[in-house]
Amino acid sequence: MMLKIALRNTLRQKRRTILTSLAMIVGFTLLSFSIGLSDGSYSFVINMFTRNRLGHIQVHHRGYLDKPSLYATINNYQAVGQTIQNVKEVETWTPRIYSVGLGSIGEKSTAIEVVGIDAVREIMATQFDKKIISGRSLSSIPAKESILGKGLAEILKADIDQEIMIVSQGADGSIANDIYTVVGVVDSGDPLRDRMSCYLHIKDAQEFFVLEGRIHEIAVIVSDLSKVSKVTERIKVKLSNSSLAIAPWQEFAKSFYQAMQVDQQGMWIALFIIILVVAVGVLNAVLMSVLERTREYGMLKAVGTKPRQIFWLVLYEVNIIALASVVIGTILALGFPLSTLINYLLAINGIAFPEISYGGMKFQTALYVEVNARSIYIPAITIVVSAMTVSLFPALKAALVTPAKAMRTH
Amino acid sequence: MTSQQVIVTEDLTKTYSANDVPVYALRGINLTIAAGEFTAIVGPSGSGKTTFLNIISGLDQPTEGKVWLSKELISNMNGRQLSDFRRDNIGFIFQAYNLIPVLTVGENIEYIMLLQGIPKIERHQRVVDILEVVGLAGYIDRKPPQLSGGQQQRVAIARAMVSQPTIILADEPTANLDSKTGSELLEMMYQLNKKTGMTFVFSTHDQAVMDRAQRLITLKDGLIDSDNMQE
Ligand SMILES: Nc1ncnc2c1ncn2[C@@H]1O[C@H](COP(=O)(O)OP(=O)(O)OP(=O)(O)O)[C@@H](O)[C@H]1O
Ligand SMILES: [Mg+2]
Repeated sequence: MMLKIALRNTLRQKRRTILTSLAMIVGFTLLSFSIGLSDGSYSFVINMFTRNRLGHIQVHHRGYLDKPSLYATINNYQAVGQTIQNVKEVETWTPRIYSVGLGSIGEKSTAIEVVGIDAVREIMATQFDKKIISGRSLSSIPAKESILGKGLAEILKADIDQEIMIVSQGADGSIANDIYTVVGVVDSGDPLRDRMSCYLHIKDAQEFFVLEGRIHEIAVIVSDLSKVSKVTERIKVKLSNSSLAIAPWQEFAKSFYQAMQVDQQGMWIALFIIILVVAVGVLNAVLMSVLERTREYGMLKAVGTKPRQIFWLVLYEVNIIALASVVIGTILALGFPLSTLINYLLAINGIAFPEISYGGMKFQTALYVEVNARSIYIPAITIVVSAMTVSLFPALKAALVTPAKAMRTH
Repeated sequence: MTSQQVIVTEDLTKTYSANDVPVYALRGINLTIAAGEFTAIVGPSGSGKTTFLNIISGLDQPTEGKVWLSKELISNMNGRQLSDFRRDNIGFIFQAYNLIPVLTVGENIEYIMLLQGIPKIERHQRVVDILEVVGLAGYIDRKPPQLSGGQQQRVAIARAMVSQPTIILADEPTANLDSKTGSELLEMMYQLNKKTGMTFVFSTHDQAVMDRAQRLITLKDGLIDSDNMQE
């Protein structure tokens, strides 16, 4: 009976019910949208950072990450790579060699980081070719070619087809020096690195550093970002090689990971503010309707209704509105992706999307909104719980109405 | 105290304090009302009629004094006991706001029986019967806002009587009605009183209503000014 009264009360006060549920629906949508946006751009930025650059998982010789050394190599890397490739949900892998040296073009010299890459694999793994801003990528067979980072090319005033001389030390202790043709310039998105990076074909690099068949790093790309830790464990089991260290991006890019988590905290604060605004609106509506109905509650109590029953009468009403709002909000969120609309509006108005910058790196962003389970159930629970919470006080007020006072007609 | 005495009050006083100024609403009421009486409480505005009815129905606590209803000392009961006691022993008819506007006439009348846990079939039968008695057969599915003031008060009477309480208390039940409708309502209450033997106590300002009463108690400044049986 109380439920029946509550349901009909929500229908009787149509205007208030609609306004209250509108507040809840807007709140729900905002919550859902910001979670979706946050999750969406979170995976987007992580993917930019890992998928297009570092890899989701990295394999090194144990200790290399703490103290990179020319000698801490992965031997027989083709076999290791093949094993990794066979692990479930691994998309691809790519080998790399890192060492430092001195690079000169004509009169200009500077310290450089020599990066040996497998031209073919690097393109599959991190879309290396897409980052080339002038010239071309490395040939698939070793041809004494090099690609310079954008900053490095500026420092050395390098042009395509010029020759760069590199001097360093080989693994056997000998002085290594050789000359390579600059075939391209790359903008990796990380200006700090681009000021140092000089890419060589992995075979050229191995020859240069006297590291036949050896490399420093294998970057692994997985097919699903959320499965990184699972795949890491699988690789560990498959490789079962104690001289190798296998780390997911959360470990080898720790400061980036922490920055992302701080970002997520920012999202929770925004959500909290939205909830607060909705809660105040709901409190106001419920309080108004309780005050208006004081006499009704007084009459109900006079004829023997228990305070507890009145309390639930009020809460039922709020819950009916909250549940209906959540259902409508869910339908909206699923059936009508707000992001599409907003992206469209922003695009036709020519508003540029903000750039996210992390550690000097810039990420050009758009609105990447994911409609995932989280973006539905978190708003749903928050709306219902906060509506209930703010209604406790009005419900208590209604429950404790003194019938004698409530029924006085003057 | 004989079994006939349904309402007994002893030195009933009620003092409100409005802005720290004491208001003596009742100043010592000693009264006995017998079963089946049809009693009107009258008196000028502010004389204490509503206060008196509220206290003898357990809606309000006296400052001092005692109240027995059907031999139970209700002035000592706690809120929960009072709530149950009211539900089972007293039928209320208020001046207004008697009915839950979102429930149908039938559901409104059913409400207290539902609180009492009376089975559905019996509830329904009683609703149909009582609507017949108050002359509203066929109105069972109407909502209160679709009824006239007089019809609404008749539903209120039905609602008050359907749980078969010993006492019906009504604070100015006719005040919101025109005098003709008021008189008709009172006539109906009188007939029901005769038929069922329930004790009716009501307050009023209406001369026609007073004339119909069997006993007329006049309050003045919180005291009984006169107490007469009428013909
Ligand atoms: N809650 C209250 N606080 C303070 N004073 C009150 C309160 N309720 C009633 N009174 C005072 O108590 C006195 C008696 O009031 P009561 O309502 O019982 O009179 P009444 O006879 O019913 O009047 P009316 O004919 O206008 O309905 C009045 O002086 C009134 O102002
Ligand atoms: Mg009064």
